Amino acid sequence: MKLEVIWASFYTDLKSFARSRATLFWTLLFPVMLILMFGAIFSGFGETEYELVVVDFDNSTLSETFVNILNDTPVIKTDVKTINNDEILQYIKDNNIKRLVVIPQGFEQSVGMAAMDSSTVANISFYFDQSEQQSNSIVRSVVSSVVINLNMNISGGKDIIKINDIETISGEFGFIDFFLPGMIGFTIMQTCIYGSLERNTKFKKDGILRKLLTTPVTRSEWIFSKMLFQLVLSFISAGLIIVIGVVVYKMTININIWMILIIIGTNFLFTGMGMLISRFVKDEESAGMAGGVVTFPMMFLAGTFFALEQMPVFLQIIARFLPLFYVNEGLRASMIYLKTDDAIFYTVIVLVFAAFFFISGLILTKWKED
Amino acid sequence: MITKKVECPKCKQIFTSSGNPGDTVRTPCPSCGLTGRVIFEKTFSSNISSENIAIEVSNLRKEYGSLVAVNNISFSVKKGEVFAFLGPNGAGKTTTVEMIESIRQPTAGSIKILGKDISTSFVDVKEKIGVLPQEFRSFERLTVRETLEFFSKLFKKRANIDEIINAMDLKDKENTLYINLSGGLKQRVGVAISLVNDPEIVFLDEPTTGLDPKARREVWEVIADLKNKGKTVFLTTHYMEEAEYLADSITIIYKGDIIARGSLEELISKYGKGHILHIKNCKTKEAVDVLRDNGFNVNKEHNGDIAVKIDYKERVLEVLSILRHEAVDYDSIDIRRSNLEEVFLQLTGARLSEEE
Repeated sequence: MKLEVIWASFYTDLKSFARSRATLFWTLLFPVMLILMFGAIFSGFGETEYELVVVDFDNSTLSETFVNILNDTPVIKTDVKTINNDEILQYIKDNNIKRLVVIPQGFEQSVGMAAMDSSTVANISFYFDQSEQQSNSIVRSVVSSVVINLNMNISGGKDIIKINDIETISGEFGFIDFFLPGMIGFTIMQTCIYGSLERNTKFKKDGILRKLLTTPVTRSEWIFSKMLFQLVLSFISAGLIIVIGVVVYKMTININIWMILIIIGTNFLFTGMGMLISRFVKDEESAGMAGGVVTFPMMFLAGTFFALEQMPVFLQIIARFLPLFYVNEGLRASMIYLKTDDAIFYTVIVLVFAAFFFISGLILTKWKED
Repeated sequence: MITKKVECPKCKQIFTSSGNPGDTVRTPCPSCGLTGRVIFEKTFSSNISSENIAIEVSNLRKEYGSLVAVNNISFSVKKGEVFAFLGPNGAGKTTTVEMIESIRQPTAGSIKILGKDISTSFVDVKEKIGVLPQEFRSFERLTVRETLEFFSKLFKKRANIDEIINAMDLKDKENTLYINLSGGLKQRVGVAISLVNDPEIVFLDEPTTGLDPKARREVWEVIADLKNKGKTVFLTTHYMEEAEYLADSITIIYKGDIIARGSLEELISKYGKGHILHIKNCKTKEAVDVLRDNGFNVNKEHNGDIAVKIDYKERVLEVLSILRHEAVDYDSIDIRRSNLEEVFLQLTGARLSEEE
């Protein structure tokens, strides 16, 4: 084994590596970015707080104590509202409230009675949106712990305060209802970005784009044909995901104009994004990695697999800048929750994003060589 | 040296500037001091009548910042000929052909294909040309037939796909995926793609680079067949054997400049040095000195081989006589005429193969 040869080879690799800024970035900085991002999500940096709306009809010392204890936990931030009893469900629907606790009038009195008479209990109500299963299970467990502590302090452990769970929107929604639209958005994003990257980097490297320049085909004809293919592919994959949702999970999915518009917009949005990425990377390998750096964070930060509320506040703010967030929320609003106003709102945002990215991509990408 | 009258774009003063053909001279205006570039066009005489010109390139120039990749070159390609654009890697061949194919934008100059200026009429011209770009790879997951059918559909005029498949000897492979073809077959498919619109001119940019000798030969036969069918072939290559085997006309480009053009015979008679006598495995060390002492131009080659340049065949006997007289021991000798390698060496002082 010749050390000289090994050293020469090593030095050549080192030089090649150091001269590629893209490789340097993706190899060194990108992992650091990911560690910081996911570390923040899963290790409590920038602590996550869940908002819990409290409606206190009792306004007693005990109810105030209960609310204060909840608020003192590191997980829950209470927001006390004054709402009429018969307007609670409407309030939840209108304000897209994920979870709400109602302390009924006479709560303190009921607790006192229950402490003496074991046949009675004092109830509080916990309204929750079942589609936000993960975050609500965390809040529910904290509320339970507080109630257990109160029971322990007041009666030595007897269940004098109980929690009534009440599902909002519809009892039919579960995690899959949250997850499936996210998967549709995510899948379209993946196929469009990587499809666009392939067309703009591999085809360029292989001389296909140069070849096309010498044929009568125009750039707009070529792009249109590719967009058409992407659209068909997106509708097929969305259809497949929906069929699985309906057949396997017995989901009720609504197909409407907003959902279709969002899917079309998503195609143009992420195809344009792919074009932009390929404008700034030279080779296929870097393009693949660049695609990863765009899609990977969006997969986790844009509410595909879990709700934004589970993330630290600053990441929730970042999510608002990610187009996939609006795609996911729009698909959920249109397909699952039937919130037309929200569906229109998210559709408009997706279409604006689509116009921006697609037009920018068209302007900035070129077939001609320098 | 050429002297040119130029007009200052600023003060309109007319003054003279001098330079060699192909030079770009920075010249200050004697009146206002504004410095500008004066281009002295390099021209090679062309005896092609205008109706027989397939491609006409005039003062074509390409700059990348301060780098001049193509330096005001002019040449013409005759209809029906195989035109070899020969030069080492980095000489400016692909830049030139890609400007002709409208893939790259020239910095200056004009290009006419079949009499039409491509800066204004390239859309029409596209129907009449077929192009195999350098290092072209087609869609991996299409079969040969599907590939040809796809590209055929991009043109108004369409050749018969079956005829192309047969002519390119691809019948056995017509249903094979492109990704599963060998390098030689891929290049044959590339040439076949360039024929789907039955073009008048076929551009083949380094069609045999990276191929083994057998595959290279196969592609040569395909190109030779194109000529037989009356197509004009614009072939860029850095293989002198390829140009020697295929070309009717050879233009040599070196460092962005055209340094020679003509038929193989013309180039060799003009720039070559008669014949080369190869003495194989010469075992007598003094042989080189002895031959040099007798006025011969001698090069030592590998494995003890010696190459002796001789101006005319009759001097072979003189060499043999010296070898016999000095009792030089060798395995064999052969004689061949000078080739493009010697032409290139004569013109540039470098070997074409060394420049790659």
